[in-house]
Amino acid sequence: MSAEFNKSTLIFLLSSIGLIVFPHVYHLPVAILGFFFLLLGWRFIGIWKPGWLPSNWFVLLLTVLGIALLYSQHRSVFGRDPGTSLFVIGLALKLLEIKTERDIYLIIYLAFIVAASQFLYEQSILMGAYIMAVCCVLLAVLVCINSLRPQTLPALKTAAIVIAQAMPIAGVLFLLFPRVEAPRWMLFTEEPQTRSGLSDSMEPGSISSLGLSDELVFRVKFKGAIPPQAQRYWRGPVMTLTDGRQWTQSANRHFNRFLDQPEFTGTPYQYTLLMEPQDKPWVFALDMPAKYSSSLSLNANYQLISSEMPEKRAEYQVTSYPQYNTGYITKTEYQEATQLPGKPSGKINQLVRQLHGFDSPPETYIQQLLGYFRKENFYYTLTPPLMEDNPIETFLFDTRYGFCSHYAAAFVYLMRVAGIPSRIVTGYQGGELNKVGNFLEIRQAHAHAWTEVWLQDKGWVRFDPTEAIAPERIEQDINVDRQIASGVVTFVSPDTKTLAAFNWLKGVRQLWTSADYNWQRWIINYNSLSQLQLLASWGIQNIKVMLYWMIGLIGLITAVLSWFLLYRKQKATDRVLRLYNRFCKKLVHKGIIKNDNEGAKDFAERVKTQLPEQSEQIDQITAVFIKLRYGRGSNPEDLKRLHQLVSLFKA
Amino acid sequence: MQNAINQLLDSANQIILGKPRQLRLALCCLLSRGHLLIEDMPGVGKTTLAHTLAKLLGLNYQRIQFTSDILPADILGASVFDAQNHVFKFHAGPIFNQMILADEINRSTPKAQSALLEAMEERQVTIEGNTYELPQPFFVIATQNPSHQIGTFPLPESQLDRFLMRLELGYPDHDAERALLTGQSRHNLIESLPVQLPSEHLMRMQQAVAQVYASPALLDYLQAIIAYTRESPDYHCGLSPRAGLALLTAAKAWAFMDRRDAVIPEDIQAVLAAVAGHRLRSGHSHSDAIVAPLLEKVAVH
Repeated sequence: MSAEFNKSTLIFLLSSIGLIVFPHVYHLPVAILGFFFLLLGWRFIGIWKPGWLPSNWFVLLLTVLGIALLYSQHRSVFGRDPGTSLFVIGLALKLLEIKTERDIYLIIYLAFIVAASQFLYEQSILMGAYIMAVCCVLLAVLVCINSLRPQTLPALKTAAIVIAQAMPIAGVLFLLFPRVEAPRWMLFTEEPQTRSGLSDSMEPGSISSLGLSDELVFRVKFKGAIPPQAQRYWRGPVMTLTDGRQWTQSANRHFNRFLDQPEFTGTPYQYTLLMEPQDKPWVFALDMPAKYSSSLSLNANYQLISSEMPEKRAEYQVTSYPQYNTGYITKTEYQEATQLPGKPSGKINQLVRQLHGFDSPPETYIQQLLGYFRKENFYYTLTPPLMEDNPIETFLFDTRYGFCSHYAAAFVYLMRVAGIPSRIVTGYQGGELNKVGNFLEIRQAHAHAWTEVWLQDKGWVRFDPTEAIAPERIEQDINVDRQIASGVVTFVSPDTKTLAAFNWLKGVRQLWTSADYNWQRWIINYNSLSQLQLLASWGIQNIKVMLYWMIGLIGLITAVLSWFLLYRKQKATDRVLRLYNRFCKKLVHKGIIKNDNEGAKDFAERVKTQLPEQSEQIDQITAVFIKLRYGRGSNPEDLKRLHQLVSLFKA
Repeated sequence: MQNAINQLLDSANQIILGKPRQLRLALCCLLSRGHLLIEDMPGVGKTTLAHTLAKLLGLNYQRIQFTSDILPADILGASVFDAQNHVFKFHAGPIFNQMILADEINRSTPKAQSALLEAMEERQVTIEGNTYELPQPFFVIATQNPSHQIGTFPLPESQLDRFLMRLELGYPDHDAERALLTGQSRHNLIESLPVQLPSEHLMRMQQAVAQVYASPALLDYLQAIIAYTRESPDYHCGLSPRAGLALLTAAKAWAFMDRRDAVIPEDIQAVLAAVAGHRLRSGHSHSDAIVAPLLEKVAVH
């Protein structure tokens, strides 16, 4: 039955449908996709062996099977995943019953819906480009169906032109169409995915594993100056409790302090944070956040927590002050910040005594300890040896090779032995400046751990023991690319000359991430609020004016496009030819059709045999036409004459 | 002037029966100062056609029978020692005539072929440092047997290109053949033919042909045809610029014969098979079939 369709059109259609469903490999259950691709393959075979296609009752059976499969996989038919699955299954079943042209149209419209459903899962530039390309293929199939001799490449070209022409209208609709925010209950719930990143506990080696990942964590765009490298501490979870090996957050961190706000001094930094999807609601603000978006809250450890879904990219406005005083410490906090897993060993006590931990003010002791790290043979490495039991002592006295987490843990431990309240702060340090978009990119490799010590009259003060060992870690940016490639920590220093190709690649990557940033910032995050802001800046205040603008602009674009198309057509054929074509059109009513390859004179001879009574007129028209088109000198009278003759001619 | 042409063609049609189109094309070729190649089986009237045209136009006519042992000197002429005056004297060969019938040109060796073809192109002959002009008008009708016949040296493409047109005569139809069989001997008829178009007239016409106008719209069509031969997979090599010029010249002559001062697409279509056939596919006869896709697929406007 489907033999009446061109084989290549069917192949084209089926391949494009395969391409459309393909990205769902990441989202939909294997069983459903298997069902889809099985039916698609079946239909492919059916192109050559139409007899193998299932009969009506078998399609019915498959439908029942498909619905059962859908229910078994999702236990529901509502929501994003079951809905998408439903469309995919419906598309597959419809493929098996291509009988008329209408079925192909239906399949193509279904395919457009499935293509759009990809955006429910992913909204990146690449996915946008992919869906656009696939839509182009779908349109090309429509072009093929409607052309006498379907040819793939010209059809694709036509489809691309159609898409290009639709772009300005889509742009206007995107900007001006009223945006209705879906109510909360309609939003799709998603199952959390496991992602790498900082965790809510810290073991000596936990951060160094992140050091090998260049995955983007967040981006920061500053309003005004960007803080110097040494101040870029992005605060994450604070580790207070320890069992000697593992560090965990305080259970009391959710109790918002009944303390005053920290006292802020110095110049504030205003910035926009664009968090990549995460599995934890943590927002990494520059130490120390003072003002922040209303969807955020500060916990007792001064860490910003988001109430929004961390599964999506989210944007926050934060203001931070580099200088602050957190004031006094509560009793619980004090207890927790001096907690030790057991009695410290003699060796430790001796070390603390040697550094005047017990008999000098905390500031002096801190300087002594940092000096100790600096002077003794301590090494900073991403791949420290394993320290199974009692890692702090092993690190301090035996191996002396460690990453930031080792130093932070040892530092806090030694502080607590001396009875000074202290804790580990995890987060990110530094960030790579994207010169194209002028924003900072913070990757997993920037993960860091530092410490805070509570000092009288100063509150919690940040100390970074890593700075004592490897000051370049703090002062310069990590060379992320090389660190990932070789596992060796190196730093981007301004004076070393790096390879040009390397810089070029870096430039390309920055360009890409900048494009990605702007895509997220201006396309994905364009909601009703930003629409109102944008329109207000153009002087459009209400929806009515907005709708007028939209209709007006679309009308204008349509007018420009149609003028362009009509004008082009006019240019391609001159007036003489148009008049002659009008004559030919009149003859078409009589069933006399001029062949493209037929000269005017030959055509006239042919017409005369069929319309002998009009020979004279036909001869005149032909003679004037030939004179105008091929003759040496032609004058405006001839054109007028041709016009008259053609107008008078009645076929 | 066109009346003279029509009278000439009428007379020729009395001799060569049932081939008005070929005769018209042959005359068209003559008016465009081109040379003519007739390719067909022996005995279909190639020689008669050449002889008739020569007689009607009042041209000095010489037939050169090409054989496998013919030498360039047999065509061009040679210097012979004059024993009385003790000098070498040039004896002009048969080529020094206004109309040459080079019969069975592909039976000779390439060396002899090229001697003739060079003379055709240059319209002069250089022997031992002396250049001799060929008479005006100068017109070569070469005939060749289909190349699958034994003992032939097919002309290479480069030399085929020297001929403006290639015609196939073909067998006469039933009525023409009957008229031929019942009528007088062709030879006697030719002898009694009057001169219809003196050579001064012919040369004036040749000049008038060059004045025929080709409009930009017409050149568009011509270029579309040339472009099609170059791009289409139907042809293994496209038409050369020289072929394009030849096509235009022939079309102008055709338009002139049709009493028009401007070329129209029909003129190009009329001469296309004769002008382009041997250039597009040298090994094959049936020029009409060769150019059929061109006529069918290239739109006139």
